[in-house]
Amino acid sequence: MSAHLEIRNLSVAFRDHAEERLLLDDITLELGRGEFLGLVGESGSGKSLLCRTVIGLLPSRRLHVTQGSVRLDETEILGREDCIRGRRIGMIFQNPTSHLDPVMTIGKQICEGLALHKGLGPAAARTEATQLLRQVGFPDPERSFSAYAHEFSGGMRQRAMIAIALSCDPEILIADEPTTALDVTIQAQILRLLQDLRAARGLSIILITHDLGVVAQTCDRIAVMRQGRIVEHGEKRALLAAPVHPYTQQLIASHPSLSHAGTEPVRHKHDRSPVFEITDLDVTFPQGGGLLMKRRGFRALKAVSLKIWPGETLGVVGESGSGKSTLARTILGLNPASAGRILFEGHDLTATSAQLRRAGLDRLRTGAAMVFQDPFNALNPRLTVGETLAEVLRHRGETPPAEIENRAGELLDMVGLDRAFAPRLPRSLSGGQCQRAGIARALAVNPRVIIADECVAALDVTIQAQIVALFRELTEKTGLTLIFIAHDLAIVRNLCERVVVMHHGEIVEDGPSARVFARPEKPYTAALIAAIPDIDPDRPINGGIPFPSQQEFAT
Amino acid sequence: MTRPAHPPLRPRLSLGLRFARRPMLATGLCILGAFVLMAVFAPVVAPYDPILQNGDITLLPPSLAHPFGTDNFGRDLLSRVIWGARIDLQIAVIGVVFPFLIGTVAGTVAGFFGGWVDASLMRLIDVVLAFPFLVLMLSIITILGPGLGSFYIAMALVGWVSYARLIRAQILVLKTQDFAVAAQSLGFSRLRIMFRHLLPNALAGSLVFVMSDAVLVLLNGASISYLGLGVQPPLAEWGVMVFEGQGFLNQAWWITLFPGLAIVVLAFGFSLTGDALADLLGVKE
Repeated sequence: MSAHLEIRNLSVAFRDHAEERLLLDDITLELGRGEFLGLVGESGSGKSLLCRTVIGLLPSRRLHVTQGSVRLDETEILGREDCIRGRRIGMIFQNPTSHLDPVMTIGKQICEGLALHKGLGPAAARTEATQLLRQVGFPDPERSFSAYAHEFSGGMRQRAMIAIALSCDPEILIADEPTTALDVTIQAQILRLLQDLRAARGLSIILITHDLGVVAQTCDRIAVMRQGRIVEHGEKRALLAAPVHPYTQQLIASHPSLSHAGTEPVRHKHDRSPVFEITDLDVTFPQGGGLLMKRRGFRALKAVSLKIWPGETLGVVGESGSGKSTLARTILGLNPASAGRILFEGHDLTATSAQLRRAGLDRLRTGAAMVFQDPFNALNPRLTVGETLAEVLRHRGETPPAEIENRAGELLDMVGLDRAFAPRLPRSLSGGQCQRAGIARALAVNPRVIIADECVAALDVTIQAQIVALFRELTEKTGLTLIFIAHDLAIVRNLCERVVVMHHGEIVEDGPSARVFARPEKPYTAALIAAIPDIDPDRPINGGIPFPSQQEFAT
Repeated sequence: MTRPAHPPLRPRLSLGLRFARRPMLATGLCILGAFVLMAVFAPVVAPYDPILQNGDITLLPPSLAHPFGTDNFGRDLLSRVIWGARIDLQIAVIGVVFPFLIGTVAGTVAGFFGGWVDASLMRLIDVVLAFPFLVLMLSIITILGPGLGSFYIAMALVGWVSYARLIRAQILVLKTQDFAVAAQSLGFSRLRIMFRHLLPNALAGSLVFVMSDAVLVLLNGASISYLGLGVQPPLAEWGVMVFEGQGFLNQAWWITLFPGLAIVVLAFGFSLTGDALADLLGVKE
């Protein structure tokens, strides 16, 4: 059987008047007919660039194909991508929000492709589009046809984008990180949809992702990319069972679904008073309203009660919009609470007396620190790493001025950054290094509690594993209390001894991780756990559990 | 712990090479530098006294002895243009610095605090903007009495609004960024967050605007002097000189042309530098 899409010795270079850099280095890859190929690699490995080259959408004019060929059904398509883009190869992107036209209805956007590539008239296009919407899982395709992108949730938008890509009956579908921006349960649904589509339409699919778990469960073959090269490829079971290249081994080893260690039962005696004691916390954000209209509120947190004990590693999990970040910001005093009480080491942060509240906040500022999600955004771009640390140390006033430089160096040592990073600006660091600097800044406070809000979500898997290991080491060595907020349950299972599951602003389950992950009490928790992508290729998507029928609807 | 000596992080380019890569910046800075030198060394460079009148040589056309010619009082125009650089550069600098300082502080405070502080400052800006610029300037100067001092005060009172709006918009964006929230969560004071964390990240746009604003202020100063409310004769200032030459435009064009040219070239220097800075700092206008 000949390959459906064949890439031979493809190289792409970045050319500037000053330099030439090879971004794709001699790529050779085949996609069989009806095959589901997973392309795995970290950010910057060139996996997206490869697919963009195939459909002729190089992101910059300074990029040039220097050698190689791309053949579709044995016909060279390189340089003639216009004829195949959309018609024979469809593409879906990571962020459906920015790839859908916000002022055009979903239906119109599908019809556009139908009219262009298939020459359908308006009425026929509409019928066809409605059918497509049904096929990708819209519960009410007639109504969704005339809805706009903002009326849908992220998962539905991604479905709409798949419908657009399918509109011209492509033979090949390239999906560039289609589920990265989505919650796990939705991710599982989209992956299942891709599999169904392949079966129904005989599509060949290339799935680009950074998550080995995603490809392990969905694809037939896996290709691992690194620094513009394919380091290894092969049938998924063979590759996962016996990886040859050290990088693949490292990727597999750092996948969070594999290691189950580190979650010994709660070892704390609760005879000490809790660090945080949260009672019936309510947070309401004003929403809409205006001069004459009555303001409505959106309840982000509903009567949340929680006790956090000293030395504990607590994971807070939930899907986007479940209120976990709001909880973090509110207990750190960055968000006003609408009702309820927050005690930090016995000091009331929600006291009515401004003086008491002030005292509580002062204590909080010296005892708790936060690590943020986006490592680049969390550091002041104009201050070097050293200056950032020195500022905190100086502000705390515990370190004598002469010692500050040395102490900043020690903090860098603690987070595993070389001291040579001190004079560097955040923009010259990688994401992982930035995040380490962010953690060093939190440690500079010399806190008793660290609240980490999705602090590994933006990082590559291997870096994620390193940061998680760093947190584990810090909590074990220093007896730090860690509140670790994440949507990735696998990481929480690895790191935390107790887990709190949030859903729609409420705590639905709270218990030791070992117990919660083994025997979840609530169906929502069970659904979340089932949706974790597993690196075991024989485990079906979503643990084989059928999805609850269409949870999400157009608003 | 401020940037200790470590191996350089980027290959350092020599100053000459860096300028060679940015011809716009190099040209702009050269023009500005030439004017500054001219102003500083005016007594040395200028061939004649700029104020001394000489009835024997009135309205001479440009010649070797008087390259820019002489005016109706027999003063050497080249010397007057050179001495004029002193006053005009002063106008451009002082006329920009105070509005910039006031506007920056006002904009930072408004953007950071929001609420009623922001609302009242913004309304005040609306009031200032509601009047035509020149009319407002003229009325303030008339009240204070003509002279350069009044011009600077009027400039400061009117000119800050553009800086305030520019900076406020930047601060509004920056204050929701994680590093600002982080600073807050670390318990830094509001002053520190505003001026150490937010402002340096917001300044790039205004610095570029300063350059183009300097051009406008220079022209304003010239027009105010032209209207008789700024620099008073016999002091040499380019705007005043253009005004004085107006009556002789038919007989002696050079009286008007050369100071006018000086204004144009200096303005060109400022805007070149401004554009190059925008490029350098990554500000898109």
